[in-house]
Amino acid sequence: MRKEVPMFITILAALMIVFGKYFFLGDQVKVLNNMDKYFNISGTFALLIGLISLTMVHGMNIRRRKEGWYNSVVLLVVMYGYLLLGLIEGNKGTTFRWIYNNAFLNLDATMFSLLAFYIASAAYRAFRIRSWEATVLLIAAFWVMLGNIPFGEALGPWVVDGKDWIMRIPNTAAMRAIQIGAYVGAFAVAMRIILGIERAHMGGRS
Amino acid sequence: MNPIFYLAAAAAKKPEPALGLFVEKNVGAFFLMLFMTAVVWVMITRARGAKKIPAIRKIAGLDAIDEAIGRATEMGRPVHFSPGLGGVDYPETFAFFATLGHVAKLAARYDTRLINTHRNNYVYAIADEIIRQAYLEAGRPDAYNPDDVRYLSPYQFAYASGVLGIFQREKVAANIMIGYFYAEALIFAEAGYQAGAIQVAGTTSTAQLPFFVTACDYTLIGEEIYAGSAYLSKDPVLTGSVVGQDVAKIAIFALILLGTIVANFNNFGAKTNFLKDLLLK
Repeated sequence: MRKEVPMFITILAALMIVFGKYFFLGDQVKVLNNMDKYFNISGTFALLIGLISLTMVHGMNIRRRKEGWYNSVVLLVVMYGYLLLGLIEGNKGTTFRWIYNNAFLNLDATMFSLLAFYIASAAYRAFRIRSWEATVLLIAAFWVMLGNIPFGEALGPWVVDGKDWIMRIPNTAAMRAIQIGAYVGAFAVAMRIILGIERAHMGGRS
Repeated sequence: MNPIFYLAAAAAKKPEPALGLFVEKNVGAFFLMLFMTAVVWVMITRARGAKKIPAIRKIAGLDAIDEAIGRATEMGRPVHFSPGLGGVDYPETFAFFATLGHVAKLAARYDTRLINTHRNNYVYAIADEIIRQAYLEAGRPDAYNPDDVRYLSPYQFAYASGVLGIFQREKVAANIMIGYFYAEALIFAEAGYQAGAIQVAGTTSTAQLPFFVTACDYTLIGEEIYAGSAYLSKDPVLTGSVVGQDVAKIAIFALILLGTIVANFNNFGAKTNFLKDLLLK
């Protein structure tokens, strides 16, 4: 029963979505919207599991006085404090928004800005000329970068035209090839799940 | 007449079924889906009947997973596995689930610590169950540590900073990333590279693939991640579905070729592109 019931629900939900998507049922949009609602409701329960997991992991850190345990104290205080504030003020409350805008967003932007440095170090490794493929990559990347800056434009229209050609033809062709393959692959996965061949997501082997 | 009346009239117009049965503009897609279903079904049936089906090619990235875990075992350091940002509505996440069972079982067998981090609550709950089951199947239920399956944060960069912290503190020897990734892909891959971890990554996100190719030792490109369950388990029925997927891909390629010919030869004198009309009906 542990496998059969989730299997049955999976197949039923899949068929409802397929029918709602392709067949004219008159009110098919409502069917799909309702499915989205069920998904969101079940997600709220799953969020609680995440909250419990964080509490357990960091509670254990504090209890065992693991290295850096005081960070776990900060995490739990902030997590439950912010949750409490949200419950009291609502997500549009002045203090709630102030903390979000002045603490969270800045921390988020700091992590995002790390990408600039990581791109530089990754690009350095990628562009080192070790093979003819790396040489092609270097030339193409150099041309695209040149075509995106005012200096490249000043050199002549051929720089921008060349950049556009690289982005529009070989780049798009490669991306679409990967995407088509991925969509077909995703379809095969969906088939395997509906047919009950792939059951890894039910906590067991395929 | 005020244009607003035209808009109101258009909004009030009830949608009509195409061919009396289908949602408009979905007929072509439905028959394409039916065709692909038939192809995959035939291959699965052939595999179930122990009939001969073509073998799937060697995928270096999937072979490298065993090597990565082996290396972590030799070094006595943990393995980190991330599914990226995708939720359970992403097919890439199911590729992650399929690979996770194999990785967890190997980790249990070799007594290597597996740290699995998450930003999605659904995926976290399922992954926890998969790992628990894998340790049980490997005969090591005592080695399963629920603290190593971690829900870090639902926010992208908060999750990324949590993973970076784990790389630094826990000194991971292997980093496996299979799923759907966004901007955090390069943050993980570069941080893993700098930590000296052997890295195996796979995604279908074309925007993040170049970063993985650059920073990781092995990359699974696009649909290769979906072959994971068949390739690693060597189950003939699962392999049949992967072969079916390849046949469907060839058929789609033929359709693209036909579409290109039709478009370039001026639709053979027809006023409209019949192939496009047929597919978009």
